[in-house]
Amino acid sequence: MTTQLSHPLSRRTLFRGAGAALVAGGLGACAPGNTTGGDPLPSSSATEPPSGEITIWDRTGDLYKVFDKAIASFTAKYPQVKVNHVAVDINAKLPATLISGAGVPDGAFYDDALLTGVAPHLHDLSQLIEQYKSDIAPYKLGVVTVDGKVVAVPWDLDPGLLFYREDIVAQAGVDPTKLATYDDLLGAARTVQQRFPQARPIHLENDQFLAQLWIDMFANQQGGAMVDAQGKLTLDSDPYRTTLTWLDTVRSQGLGTLAKYTQPTDLQTQDNGTQVFVPWAQWFVFAPQQLLKASKGKWRATALPAWQAGGARAGVMGGSSFVIPAKAKNPELAWRLYEHLVFSKEGYTTVYGQNDVYPGGLNTSIPSYLPALDPDQPLFKTIDALGGQDLWKVAVEAGKQVPGGYTIPTWWGKAVDYFGVNVQKMLAGRMSPDEVLKTSASQIQKNLMGPN
Amino acid sequence: MATLTEAATTRRSARRVRRPRVRAAPYLFVAPFILVFAAFSAYPIFFALQLSFTNWHGAGALEIIGFANYRYLLTSPDFWQSMATSGVLWLLVVPAQVLLALTIAVALRKARFRGLFSAALIAPFVTPLVAMAQVWIILFDQDFGAVNHGLSSIGLPTIGWLTTSAGAKVTVALLVLWRTTGYAVILLMAGLSTIPADVYEAARIDGAGAWQQFWSITVPLVTRTLSFVVVIGTLTVFQLFAEPYVVTGGGPFNATRTAGLYLYKHITNSDLGLGAANSMLLVVMVLALSLASIRLLRSREDS
Repeated sequence: MTTQLSHPLSRRTLFRGAGAALVAGGLGACAPGNTTGGDPLPSSSATEPPSGEITIWDRTGDLYKVFDKAIASFTAKYPQVKVNHVAVDINAKLPATLISGAGVPDGAFYDDALLTGVAPHLHDLSQLIEQYKSDIAPYKLGVVTVDGKVVAVPWDLDPGLLFYREDIVAQAGVDPTKLATYDDLLGAARTVQQRFPQARPIHLENDQFLAQLWIDMFANQQGGAMVDAQGKLTLDSDPYRTTLTWLDTVRSQGLGTLAKYTQPTDLQTQDNGTQVFVPWAQWFVFAPQQLLKASKGKWRATALPAWQAGGARAGVMGGSSFVIPAKAKNPELAWRLYEHLVFSKEGYTTVYGQNDVYPGGLNTSIPSYLPALDPDQPLFKTIDALGGQDLWKVAVEAGKQVPGGYTIPTWWGKAVDYFGVNVQKMLAGRMSPDEVLKTSASQIQKNLMGPN
Repeated sequence: MATLTEAATTRRSARRVRRPRVRAAPYLFVAPFILVFAAFSAYPIFFALQLSFTNWHGAGALEIIGFANYRYLLTSPDFWQSMATSGVLWLLVVPAQVLLALTIAVALRKARFRGLFSAALIAPFVTPLVAMAQVWIILFDQDFGAVNHGLSSIGLPTIGWLTTSAGAKVTVALLVLWRTTGYAVILLMAGLSTIPADVYEAARIDGAGAWQQFWSITVPLVTRTLSFVVVIGTLTVFQLFAEPYVVTGGGPFNATRTAGLYLYKHITNSDLGLGAANSMLLVVMVLALSLASIRLLRSREDS
């Protein structure tokens, strides 16, 4: 049960496994029997300037700094508002805080993949979002909608792109503009390997959580998801089978580098030319900018290949939104802040514009608010680490191709223990694609969709 | 008969007279502790026990579902795999820790600069784990780690320290050993310091060698401290969470998903009833293992 706000008033990058440490001594506050949320909230007059105090949680690191500046643009506009902006290990703290009810923030940044798990503790924002619905990317609207209710303010869109080493590809005589299908990509990997025998050109993700997220991107590209709109398990289906078969081919033919995203092996092999093709979310761009050394400036981005000729050239991997807890003290004011950050030109321009962390602007994602996605009105600058490429244009074009109708099941995070782990086994040569799908579907059905 | 009754009455009166008056002061002095204990230990334990019979997810009313959570866990391969993982880690960590700690403690007993050594030994224990875990990831990286580089440079095959089930368990165990052995050494040094020197002197006069002294004097007289070290080690291993979480994420293939990490998953997933049942089972098992360890050591002490 989400709580309905009674009347309309008026990130980043790296996904981590979610977590929540049980807050010692906080059990008294989570007395069972409390319903999530309180009475319908009073509406604020749109003509009345907002005032009051709110506590907002953002993820520790670069995004905290990005949003700090963006929040300042809100408080400059509304000086009567005081925002306590706190950097928190959100994945670890938010679930426990929502359950205990102790120290609940008025608003928090949260990963889309984990939204369904905390949905019962969030405000229903359906009425507030209604006026913006037609301007939100369909995929994004789908993932923030749980049981027919919008439970988060949709923030970013993270289209998948194909990142490649421009220098190596050129030396091998591969034309990146001709990589129209995943079969073409396999062919290109073989060509690169012939020219550079030590190369294992295609990235294979070895983190169980990220691998699941990654494969969901490929499935989303083909219009697939783990569950259909009715919540029926659709894991053992063509989109996943096609994806896993392709990945298994990459593995068995020695065309892939098995590594965990941004771990030492990953960075070293990207720098030394072992990895050449990385089909990944837009936020991969963080690595060439901040982590890679020898290959900095040598990476480029293009649209993902399609699974069939003429098919969609994009899928989504990850993404985040803003949630307003049902037990928030000042939810209306939190909504006003997020409305400013996401749906006002001033807000999203500040979020994606230049700041201390990203001097050229925040370029690890694009807004999910469609009016912000003008290819000719870039919110962030061209990127030196990509040889001066205009990533904005590439990402916006990809973002517009992302298939909608994607549903995230409530147990998505829990499925990592089954599907994510079985994919890991497949990439280690211990399971076949069919075994992964059949075993995972059976485990998920029994452990996550059964009576418990 | 009347006489007997009168006598009995007199005795009862005498007993009543002799009964000391109950004083309130002691109870007032211990009241703060009792209150704090009740609020922060007793209540959470009973609440967790209550939760373990429900399917509560953190919202709404408690719905009693009897032993369903326990049935689910006891028939779940995931639960037993997590217990087995902790068991393997216990075998890798605790005996090695006891042996290492005792050896170091005995070696340091007569060493100079003991204070300096003690500080050095406790340093890993107070080093931020996340920083150390990152170092561990770099050291044990499959392709570019210093450990595999060292192995290959002396002609030995490299090991998938973080990419194979067995390797990952060893990697986590080594981190736990590195972090906690110093603490065990400090405890054992304290235990050793209570053994009178004249016991060793008498043994020397009787012709006992160093090994005989160690085995016949040191070990028996430090058994109680060893028991404590084993219990602490057992608790550490079965509650192990941070090390596998940061270094391996419980992988590869859930090979390092310890009992603590599996319990944490339930909390993360808002399966609080299941988590509470899991923690209750964990308490029973850890208690049994600790008691068995103590009994084993005590039998050695008694003999």
